[in-house]
Amino acid sequence: MNFELNNTQKDLQNTMAAFCHTEILPGAASLDTSPQDQIAVVLKTNMKKLGNAGYLNLLLEDDLISQCVAGEEVAKACPATFITTMSTATAFGIPLKKFGTPSQREKCLSAIVMGDYIGGLACTEFDAGSDMNGFKTFAERKGDRWVLSGYKYLVTNAPIADALLVLAWTDREAGLEKGLSFFILEKGAKGISVSQPMETMGLRGALVSEMIFEKCELEADALLGGEAGRGYGQFMQVMEYIKLALSAMSVGLGVACMENSTRYAKSRSAFGKPIGLFEGVGAKLAIMFTYNDLGRMMTYRAAWAMEQQDPESPVLTSCAKLFTSEAVNEIADLAMQVHGGHGYLKGSTVERLYRDARYAVIAYGTSEMQRAFIARDSLDRFKPA
Amino acid sequence: MDFSFSDEQRMFRETVYRFAREEIAPLCEEADLKSEFSFDVWRKLGEMGLLGLPIPEEYGGQGADIVTCCLAGEAVGHAGVDGGHTLAWGAHTYLCAANIMQNGTDVQKKKYLPKLASGEWIGCMGLTEPGCGSDAAALTTSAVKKGDKYILNGSKTFITNAPLAQVFVIFATLDKSKKHTGITTFIVEKDFPGISTGKPMHKMGCRTSATSEVFFEDCEVPAENCLGGEGLGWMIALGGVEWDRSTLLAPFVGGGIFMLENCARYANQRWAFNRPIRNFQSIQNRIADMKVYLEASKLAVYRVAASKDSGMFLNPLYAGVSKMYMGDKGFEMSSAAVDLFGGYGYIHEYPVERGMRDAKLGQLGGGTSDIMRMIVARIMMM
Repeated sequence: MNFELNNTQKDLQNTMAAFCHTEILPGAASLDTSPQDQIAVVLKTNMKKLGNAGYLNLLLEDDLISQCVAGEEVAKACPATFITTMSTATAFGIPLKKFGTPSQREKCLSAIVMGDYIGGLACTEFDAGSDMNGFKTFAERKGDRWVLSGYKYLVTNAPIADALLVLAWTDREAGLEKGLSFFILEKGAKGISVSQPMETMGLRGALVSEMIFEKCELEADALLGGEAGRGYGQFMQVMEYIKLALSAMSVGLGVACMENSTRYAKSRSAFGKPIGLFEGVGAKLAIMFTYNDLGRMMTYRAAWAMEQQDPESPVLTSCAKLFTSEAVNEIADLAMQVHGGHGYLKGSTVERLYRDARYAVIAYGTSEMQRAFIARDSLDRFKPA
Repeated sequence: MDFSFSDEQRMFRETVYRFAREEIAPLCEEADLKSEFSFDVWRKLGEMGLLGLPIPEEYGGQGADIVTCCLAGEAVGHAGVDGGHTLAWGAHTYLCAANIMQNGTDVQKKKYLPKLASGEWIGCMGLTEPGCGSDAAALTTSAVKKGDKYILNGSKTFITNAPLAQVFVIFATLDKSKKHTGITTFIVEKDFPGISTGKPMHKMGCRTSATSEVFFEDCEVPAENCLGGEGLGWMIALGGVEWDRSTLLAPFVGGGIFMLENCARYANQRWAFNRPIRNFQSIQNRIADMKVYLEASKLAVYRVAASKDSGMFLNPLYAGVSKMYMGDKGFEMSSAAVDLFGGYGYIHEYPVERGMRDAKLGQLGGGTSDIMRMIVARIMMM
């Protein structure tokens, strides 16, 4: 039993912290407020920088604890940049790497690693998210090609992506486990329309669109892995990586809230002493620390379980995602309170982080879905025979 | 990082769990109802070697590492043994015996450890006083050196095991004006002249552990019973925190597992509106939150234990985090368990009622949650 990072991981933590502090953090505030065409430029620059720093490569490798270590630093500096990299490398890159044919992998993985390629995952629809049975998008075989029709919603990176993975029915009757498939949809394919980026409450630096597919014709090679009907299983596997990444993001965001609050509580005085020395403010700092600290351990624990191929790991990634995402919302709320009126102003860091944090309890399985899944596992163990 | 237990540790946990479930847990409900410490339970804990778990074999113990000690605590709690008996065990083994093990001279160890390890003697530790708890440096029990004796005067309160104890590890001050550096620790025996204990207190939870005041009226303690040296009591008290934040919290983890299992079983069996109540989302939410709480708690407890096993200094932030989270969230979850059982949750025969009363101690004993937040905040503000 050993709860410490090894020396390589500690070095990575320090290197990434320093790198993100100088290279990513300074642009974080303007990403939140810039017009969307300017955002795209900054995001692409950040992707390139993180590619050069080896971060995107790391996200496609097997050392999951290191991914969490580094991911926390990126998210701490700029959650929107984190989401852009996650949507590219984790949500798009991992399925390509794990399930793609050699030619599919060749096309984009090395470009992703270099930060020259942006990807995304298009699953959610207007009327269906976690209940995938409600999806309507479908693909029909036409000779050796596929014709994709339907609509996807809230697709992160869609406005700037070089390619997206789209989940669609290939056989509605076969049901979830055999009827869904992923298609690789490249930029500019005929029959796709991508909307203007949608206005979001937080993570405004990450670009999100809706998409319409009108009889969009795809080459046979667009089917991920070359075999239809595997989409659900592939999605469930990718979700494990995404839940883990989101846990690391929530911790990073929480640490950013905590560090800003601690700094403020030291510099702001009232009634003759720094406000952090008042018990009411100090207790808030302590709660922030507790949640970040335990959330980080739960994230590492889940990563380790995945590395060990522990059959319990899906429950542990859900526990980590649920704990960290709910924690960061409480932390962001406390951070606003510590900052008083200053925090309430547009342009304050904690105001931005507060809006960003809300994403975590919604995306990739709401807290309600995580609880239902975690509970089912515990309940099934004590089902009467 | 490595979150796994060794095969030996896992097997030991399983053995302790089975034994505790079959032999000990059945005795606990009645003992709790009567608010009585059970010597049968005590003997059985001793039979399994649990009372001297961390004590080296040469002094009659098992020489177990701290992670193993925590696993044993977790297993006994998981088996359904009540919080009073696990508290009595913790105060005896970790606050008293392990304290002597870490700070005692060879003579002191030879004299006290074998009988404590076997359970023949029961041990306790006295720091808290009627007028001070977390602010331990304010303690007023005095010790005055007189020839080859120290004379102790004052009183202690909330001392777990005191009414049953043969051996008392007591904190007193040689010079109150010296604050922390005046505090000194003594091993006091029940038969020394001038020590007496009060009536067992009637507690909200952890009822089977005997708790009382301890009085010192010109109590004569032989000079050789000074533990660790004059003025070192504060360091000894701080050293005890590592045990407190790992081995004493481990039974709460086990109690949480016991609670979750009982809730899951009940939710499967109880029907309402033509379906098992497990199908209601508000029931599922409680189960899920308990599971998340348990995963976080295990990490909090075993991190402190593993760090102590590897010889590192205790990180006071980690210790504070464990105590605060487990105390507050643990009580919240125990209340959720009562809610889940509905009316039955409020009845003694069902295990979650006792669990809720026992869990309250997690927020109070060994430093309140408020104090934990103050400690963590103070470090953050440095």
